Amino acid sequence: MNAAAKSSLLHLSLTDAADALKDGSVTAVELTTVALEAFTRVDKAINSAIWLEGAAALEAAEALDKKRKSGAMLGPLHGLPLAHKDMYYKAGKLSTCGSAIRKDFRPGYTATVMERLEDAGSVTLGGLNMAEFAQNPTGHNQHYGHCRNPWHTDYCTGGSSSGSGAAVAARLVYGALGSDTGGSIRLPAAICGVTGIKATQTRVSRHGVMPLSFSADNVGPLTQTARDAARFLGVIAGHDPKDPTSSAEPVPDYEAALTGDIRGMRIGVPTNYFFDGIDPEVQAAFDAAVAVLEARGAVIVPVTIPHMDAVATYGGIVSRVEGGTIHAQWMRERPQDYAVHLSGRLYPSQGIPGTYYLEALARRGAILKAVAAAVFGVCDAFITPTLRMKVPTLLATDIDAGTPGAIETFQDVSINTRPINYLGLPSVSVPCGLDSNGLPIGFQIQGRPFAEARVLKIADAYQRDTDWHRRLPPNVS
Amino acid sequence: MQTPLREIVAVQARTWSGIEQPNEAAGIMADALAATIAGFEALRGQLAFEDEPSSFEAALQETKEPQP
Repeated sequence: MNAAAKSSLLHLSLTDAADALKDGSVTAVELTTVALEAFTRVDKAINSAIWLEGAAALEAAEALDKKRKSGAMLGPLHGLPLAHKDMYYKAGKLSTCGSAIRKDFRPGYTATVMERLEDAGSVTLGGLNMAEFAQNPTGHNQHYGHCRNPWHTDYCTGGSSSGSGAAVAARLVYGALGSDTGGSIRLPAAICGVTGIKATQTRVSRHGVMPLSFSADNVGPLTQTARDAARFLGVIAGHDPKDPTSSAEPVPDYEAALTGDIRGMRIGVPTNYFFDGIDPEVQAAFDAAVAVLEARGAVIVPVTIPHMDAVATYGGIVSRVEGGTIHAQWMRERPQDYAVHLSGRLYPSQGIPGTYYLEALARRGAILKAVAAAVFGVCDAFITPTLRMKVPTLLATDIDAGTPGAIETFQDVSINTRPINYLGLPSVSVPCGLDSNGLPIGFQIQGRPFAEARVLKIADAYQRDTDWHRRLPPNVS
Repeated sequence: MQTPLREIVAVQARTWSGIEQPNEAAGIMADALAATIAGFEALRGQLAFEDEPSSFEAALQETKEPQP
């Protein structure tokens, strides 16, 4: 197979590659081999992987090919090479959590999502770069090197699932697990030009997943397309007895919902909060996305989201206090082992009163009900830009380097995503343009709790009429 | 003169948790809690006596997408 043919295999979407594996036109060993070769060729520039286990991956791929030849397909991801944010535990395997503190950490048990992905037939290549302990929205990492945007390596990837966004954008893997506590799936998805979904809070098990915030952590995929995300999410979603907080709500067939028909669907565009101070280029790309949805028959309605001051205020402290709590021992004993921006962020949580924290949690249900009544009374879903700003450079957001204004820019990156975590709503980010620097722009689609099928349906409908999700970074051949 | 927030946080972090301010960025971010405090001040009186954290899981169910 020549180089062009190999590259074209990795340009397939996850679902197309799965179909090719199923009909025998390609093997798991071939896909795993080209993925590993692509990491060798490309990853020096973007630094999306922390570790890879090529030999083990090829061995697994070979076993999967034998199974397929004998007619024993494991599941909907049979033979697909994936790699995941390096915080999903697998017994005996490295899980650095992007940190120096856990640089040698090998857990004794396996995350439920990893079990489900491998039970569905996927091949795990290794652990992907991430923000240290999943705690920044830009993808900076002082310990393993910053992950760099495949569209332009001076720019950030978004975080905290930086390697997941970069590896999917650079077509090194067909999909990757990320995690999202304040935007950490949707931000790298938007910034790297891929699709990423954070499901409803409680939709996906967190057993065996590095914690950041008990109340706001979510597990989800980054992929090329909404259809890919639907298949991936369908594998990992659903109740897990090992995670008592996971929902028993039945998991529908997400792919079956992707009919492309959004005629008559009412899609809200907020009149408040989400557009304050927005960059004109982001606004223009968002407006164009709205026009695409309208042309497909959606009814666009203005909608005011109530309680946004409360959502922003409360949402801003829950994960900080929970993160500050679980990091307290290391902050006492080895604060120097954290990057400056992370110890700087963890430290002030010690000054937030417990009464504030509990107020934020106690009001969450009442606020969700009020928002749902006001918003979903007039629309079926609402959309906003994923970021209000154009993609910033790594330097502009480098707190450790002492860049003036970095703290403020850093915090503004996630201003549109954090509120969705507090509300617990499902949200998918979809690429919708390129800015004047050649960096991607994305918008996010939110629905009612457990409306993953609906938000994916809208995303898929949009992608049927656009090609932003198919475009390749300049140096990806 | 009001005590700077970073000094208040320093006393709290040391007294309650045995944690010291690790760097200047931490001090800047402690000072930035002023915006959080202002946010909470603006929300005073809105917490109902009966509100509790478990209401969130109930609200997810109550507001969920109806099944087709």
